Amino acid sequence: MNDPIKIKIEHLFFRYGDRFVLRDVNLRIAENTITAIIGPSGIGKSTFLMTLNRLWETIPGAKLQGRVEIKFQGQFQEIHDRDYPPTTLRRSVGMVFQTPNPLPMSISRNVSFPLKLAGLRQKSAMADRVEQALKRAYLWDEVKDRLNEDALLLSGGQQQRLCIARALILEPEILLLDEPTSSLDSKSGAVIEELLVNLKGSCTLLIVSHYQDQVQRIADTVFELAEGKFIPMPVRK
Amino acid sequence: MSRWMERTLIVFCWICGLALLAAITAIIGYLLYKGMGTVNLTLIFGDTSPVDALLLRKHVFAGLFPAMVGTVAVVTLSVGFAIPVGIASGIYMAEYARGGVKTVLGFFFDILAGVPSIVIGLFGFALAIFLHKHFSSIYPSLFISSLSLAVLVLPYIIRSTQFALENLPAATKLIAVALGATKLQNIVYVLIPKSLSGIFSGVILATGRCAEDTAVILLTGAVAFAGVPKSLFAQYEALPFYIYYISSQYANQQELLSGYGASIILLLICALLFFIASMIRKGVTYQALYRA
Repeated sequence: MNDPIKIKIEHLFFRYGDRFVLRDVNLRIAENTITAIIGPSGIGKSTFLMTLNRLWETIPGAKLQGRVEIKFQGQFQEIHDRDYPPTTLRRSVGMVFQTPNPLPMSISRNVSFPLKLAGLRQKSAMADRVEQALKRAYLWDEVKDRLNEDALLLSGGQQQRLCIARALILEPEILLLDEPTSSLDSKSGAVIEELLVNLKGSCTLLIVSHYQDQVQRIADTVFELAEGKFIPMPVRK
Repeated sequence: MSRWMERTLIVFCWICGLALLAAITAIIGYLLYKGMGTVNLTLIFGDTSPVDALLLRKHVFAGLFPAMVGTVAVVTLSVGFAIPVGIASGIYMAEYARGGVKTVLGFFFDILAGVPSIVIGLFGFALAIFLHKHFSSIYPSLFISSLSLAVLVLPYIIRSTQFALENLPAATKLIAVALGATKLQNIVYVLIPKSLSGIFSGVILATGRCAEDTAVILLTGAVAFAGVPKSLFAQYEALPFYIYYISSQYANQQELLSGYGASIILLLICALLFFIASMIRKGVTYQALYRA
């Protein structure tokens, strides 16, 4: 693998109270790849994703030590720097959760929501970017005629692709996915797998998954998380 | 738990529900039976023509119109005072207050919720006297009553806002944060719109409490005859005060019956205010979430 490094993790410790979830993790993640993290439930896979966008800071009692550096526009940035705002970080590191979580708004308002948070007000520019994001998430053709309908009326698979579009609209360099297909049927899951592979060109993806076969289909690198350590696993490719 | 216990519990719950329903039906039915005959335009407007009264061209002397206006005014004003302060405090309690401060404040809000309304009325009266010493134009008035009632209902709005926010699922609280929202953006754009129904149940409770309370207004500005209030700093009439007054001082059966009529009108005004509140909630929800 000659890909340049995107994420550099050094001596990362993480605990909730006295319970250690990550112990001295050292990891390099290459640019424009899909890295899968597997392991039993409750072992801390989701927590690990949250260390990459500082979402862990919202959890009471959580403590983190160590360095996490991410290369943004060619420059490595220690993401836990005191003067590096988490909101800036989260606009470059998108996240998609296990259960589709559209807000109770129209489809287009859902997708453009992050633009509104970032302070963009121009309606016409917004509409263009909404279209681009929906196309990248393979959803445009299904919803282009009903952008003002309630997003909660979409099917589960469509809702999850909507959430991916919403995460993509700020053009993040990294996309974190926490078991994105586990609440969907296999057909909807397959569409999402295909689109993730397609996103590799523009993003670095980290995916937490329960399914060995899914991981083997799409991942370039696989780690198993066990007792706070990352163990490299073989990939059939 | 044995099957027998479970059955008994279910039957008991049913009986309690039915008893409550029966009590409400009995109260409202009795009111309607006694008072419906008196509810007409004469009860509301007396000898004055309704058009003249509504346009405030003539005073209504022998009707309930001024009391109705007074009640709507005092409820609107006090809920208007209590909503911004209550919602802001609720947000503070749910999202910013931590540890000891939160416990102590929560304890005080619970005490405030338990203070008898006559004590709040006394506080309002004392406030009016204090203000009168410095600004001689201030007497017990609509303004003082509204402030006191606002204090009375504040804890309902604070607590309902706080609990509505706290009971949102943890995953919901992360949606906007993960998309780069600041704490305030998350509260304004997601958390508040998502908890509006909880917040509004507090507002409805507060509205009802303001409409029915007699002890507070008794001490802070409500009088038997004042006509339609001319300003914020005027004395006023109110329906609950009228009902109290008529039931303790009635001269004949007809006057007592007009008290029942006033009760029906008070209930109708409450129903109208609840309806308006729920329309506002729908409008706010639409503005916050669904507007294209």
